[in-house]
Amino acid sequence: MPAETAVFQATVGASGNKRYSQSSGAMVSQALSRVNDSELIRAAQRGDRAAFESLVRQYDQAVLRLALHLTGSEPDARDVYQEAFLKAYRHIGNFRFECSFYTWIYRIVTNLCLDHLRKRQTRKEDSGTVIDSSGQEVDLLDRVSDDRAGANPERDLMRRELGDKIAAALTRLTPRERMVFELKHYQGLRLRTIGEMLNTTEETAKNTLFRATQKLRSALAPMR
Amino acid sequence: MKCEWTKENVVLYMYDELPDDARFEFMHHIQHCEDCKRELEAAQGFKQDMSAMPAPEVAPNFLASNRMQLQEALEHAQQNRSFWGMFIFDFAAWMQQIKLAPALTAVLLIVGFAGGSLTTWRLAQGTESPVAVNTGTIGTPQDYNIAAINSIATDPDSNHVTIKYDTLRPQTAEGSATDPRIQELLLLAARNNRNSDVRLDSIDLLKGKAQDNEVRDALISALRYDRNPGVRLKALDGLKSYVKNDVHVRDAVLEALLHDTNPGVRSEAISLLDPVKADSSVREALEVLAQHDSNEYIKAQSQKYLASTAHLD
Repeated sequence: MPAETAVFQATVGASGNKRYSQSSGAMVSQALSRVNDSELIRAAQRGDRAAFESLVRQYDQAVLRLALHLTGSEPDARDVYQEAFLKAYRHIGNFRFECSFYTWIYRIVTNLCLDHLRKRQTRKEDSGTVIDSSGQEVDLLDRVSDDRAGANPERDLMRRELGDKIAAALTRLTPRERMVFELKHYQGLRLRTIGEMLNTTEETAKNTLFRATQKLRSALAPMR
Repeated sequence: MKCEWTKENVVLYMYDELPDDARFEFMHHIQHCEDCKRELEAAQGFKQDMSAMPAPEVAPNFLASNRMQLQEALEHAQQNRSFWGMFIFDFAAWMQQIKLAPALTAVLLIVGFAGGSLTTWRLAQGTESPVAVNTGTIGTPQDYNIAAINSIATDPDSNHVTIKYDTLRPQTAEGSATDPRIQELLLLAARNNRNSDVRLDSIDLLKGKAQDNEVRDALISALRYDRNPGVRLKALDGLKSYVKNDVHVRDAVLEALLHDTNPGVRSEAISLLDPVKADSSVREALEVLAQHDSNEYIKAQSQKYLASTAHLD
């Protein structure tokens, strides 16, 4: 029977996004959160499910957001979420602290999302809508509230048209280009981190981002 | 030349990825070059346009339902332990346990010391006669296979000893292969029997019933842990129809390809991965094998699979 372990409260923000700051306060906070993560990881490796669930809580919202945006479907995002964290639980014994847990879990998630994108490559892609769990099609733009007084319907229409164009342009990227662009533009990660997650170099991630933005800019140029 | 460099790095500048010295050079050039300035404005316009389709925020209910579903799934999930992981002693984890349970350690030491002292004292008394056991009631080994001695109790006022023990009684079960009782015994035989022929026979019978989750788990366990390569090959045979749809089977087959010591098992495993060669975890493994594997067949087959799916990158 494993000994009782203390579960530490981590201090990482809800999005799980870690931007490296120059301030010493942020660096100390990051170091502390890494120490806290280490305790939780070791406990989880010993079979402590509560510790693993604490780890999950730190990253799962960001993971789900990524999966939802990439798959465009709540059921598919749910599948990615479940498979990613179950895989992480099964293989956490293999985690050797050679990278951060954040990078490790995102590596699993991005691989699953890449699988999903590859499978969908021949099918018609996003139309700027998301399928919710009841099977209803929900326009992504409906989720963006327009708080401005007297919102302009014509501008809204143009925004929707642009949103459709963007969705179509994203489908023309290769799975890897889409993934790099998603992680850089929407998730705000550093290219070095993206390279680690996709098991490639920072230079390759840079080139992939360059290709992705070129393709997107060409596709959206007629709108400007 | 400067303009070319600037236009190549406008994306990196836009996403704040340029090193400080390159960033300085970039900004310095932009101030003096209208063409590059227009290029930067166009790129920034593109970035602004992309905000027309933001990433949707996760609804709290959706997040909560996913967490609950994961919690339920974790109750049935098992952590993988590598073959060497079963034998490698995790010193750090052991130290952690000792650090956090000093009281338990102290209690164990005290109990052990006290028990040893008491035993020594009683022997030193020398007043107790050896315990007499009535051997007249123990039959021949064939009639009475003793499995375990559970307890020994002595009456301090007499020479009477009470020993409680379990016996093994050989039995035979007969029935159809679909009989749940027979299946239960087959599952037991697949996992626990010292005789590899018995394990082989049980896996042979079980492999036709891999649609049952418990049977499939037993086949996966045999593939991962059985010492006999024949048993592992038999288990692979039973799992082949599930590689595409069951991620646990796929993981087990991938592990066999990467770590099995028997070349026959590895060859069979790689042939089963053909339907899932586009899967990213499979491709990752194939990339390593294609470059470094010492088995020429495995290396060539990995290269062949990768070549046929190169369009996915």
